[in-house]
Amino acid sequence: MKLAVYRKKSPWILHYNAGGCNGCDIEILACLGPKYDIERFGMINSGNPKQSDILLVTGPVTKRSRERLVEVYAQMPEPKVVVSCGACACTGGVFRGMYNCEGGIDQYIPVDVYVCGCGSRPEQIIDGVIKALDILERKTLELEVSVRLKKVPVEENGQVNRREVAAKIIHTQHTYE
Amino acid sequence: MKGFIIPVLLIILAPFIGGLVHGLERIVRARMQRRIGPPLLQPFYDFLKLAGKRKMIVHSAHAFLGIMHFVSLWFALALLLLGGDLILVIFLHLLSTSLLILAGYSTRSIFSHLGANRTAISILAYEPVLIILAVSFYLVTGSFETAAVFNYDKPLLLEMPLAFVALLLILPVKLKKSPFDVAEAHQEITGGTEIEFSGIFYEAVYTAKWLDYVFCYTLVYLFAGNNILLGAALILFTFIYVNALDNSSARVNYKQMLRFSLAVAFSLAFLNLILNIVI
Ligand code: SF4
Repeated sequence: MKLAVYRKKSPWILHYNAGGCNGCDIEILACLGPKYDIERFGMINSGNPKQSDILLVTGPVTKRSRERLVEVYAQMPEPKVVVSCGACACTGGVFRGMYNCEGGIDQYIPVDVYVCGCGSRPEQIIDGVIKALDILERKTLELEVSVRLKKVPVEENGQVNRREVAAKIIHTQHTYE
Repeated sequence: MKGFIIPVLLIILAPFIGGLVHGLERIVRARMQRRIGPPLLQPFYDFLKLAGKRKMIVHSAHAFLGIMHFVSLWFALALLLLGGDLILVIFLHLLSTSLLILAGYSTRSIFSHLGANRTAISILAYEPVLIILAVSFYLVTGSFETAAVFNYDKPLLLEMPLAFVALLLILPVKLKKSPFDVAEAHQEITGGTEIEFSGIFYEAVYTAKWLDYVFCYTLVYLFAGNNILLGAALILFTFIYVNALDNSSARVNYKQMLRFSLAVAFSLAFLNLILNIVI
């Protein structure tokens, strides 16, 4: 497909903080500033899931944010990639094991690129996004047909738990490799 | 703009011209912030990328209204360039904006509703001024047709300078530029009415914004009469003015915007109208 070439040229970023300390968010904003200026590559911090291609998540999944995370992910039209930014988003980082915290975001949504560092540096983030762009170009629309959720999300303590349901999405989405 | 070829070419190429203007605008903005900025053709890359995305529609009427917004805007632009009735052009433009407002109200998203509210308020801010401008054009040239304006042998700028100032004051509202961009307000309501569009349906709304550039700059061009050089100078001046204002000012809220445009821009246009009647 010829149009796939242009995905690389205009990746629109959606940035979501799932509950981190804001360190990584500041680094992401630094990417947009004059020093790193990722708008050179056509990237925009669009802030609207329905029009973005890359989901940049920072921070660990907290019990409050997990639903919103899955919701935001589900609202993005395919092709899309997820970049988890910082140690928190990858594994839980310094928040791992805390009572309000669920650990890395890959328990809930499929992650394509992991960017390390507690306060990952802007260079690392740009690197991660470029890597994500390669994956984005390889994705095809056929592989990304939406999947019907097999199980009804269970409700516990007044909160919807989509853990098992999300696992099914991971299974179907990773078949492109 | 005599003859038939140039207007027709302009109409067909309008999305491309608007896209180039948008690309240039993004570069100018980046340079003003000491950045390098995206390539000139970036809006077209965005366009081609969006064509390949999955289409998620909220409901079919919503998507249809988005596309009709684009089509009716293009139609208004065509009428303007072909020398149609200025009042009709302004109302067609109003129609296309109201289609977008309807689309905004037709979803359940609160941001979409907010954006639709604010778009309706910005119509309230610029529409009276535009109507008075059209009447002023009528008083000077003796006809509501823009063809008469394109063939008018004196620059209209000298006959109605206050009207030009009024147009400059409402252009940021119309183009959704910074002091008066409450309707779009990307950091606040992330685009307002356009928030629920995706894929090629967002493309229609995105391209309609490019058409709006061409529409607004053609309105500016009207002030030059049949003097092409003056017209080009006016367009260049307006481009620099709009972008400098966009980058150097913060957003005001909708009440301040309404108060300003009705108190200052509207009274300037009205004063100009009275002067045109008296002289
Ligand atoms: S990885 Fe470190 S800097 Fe980034 S959000 Fe987590 S704690 Fe903050």
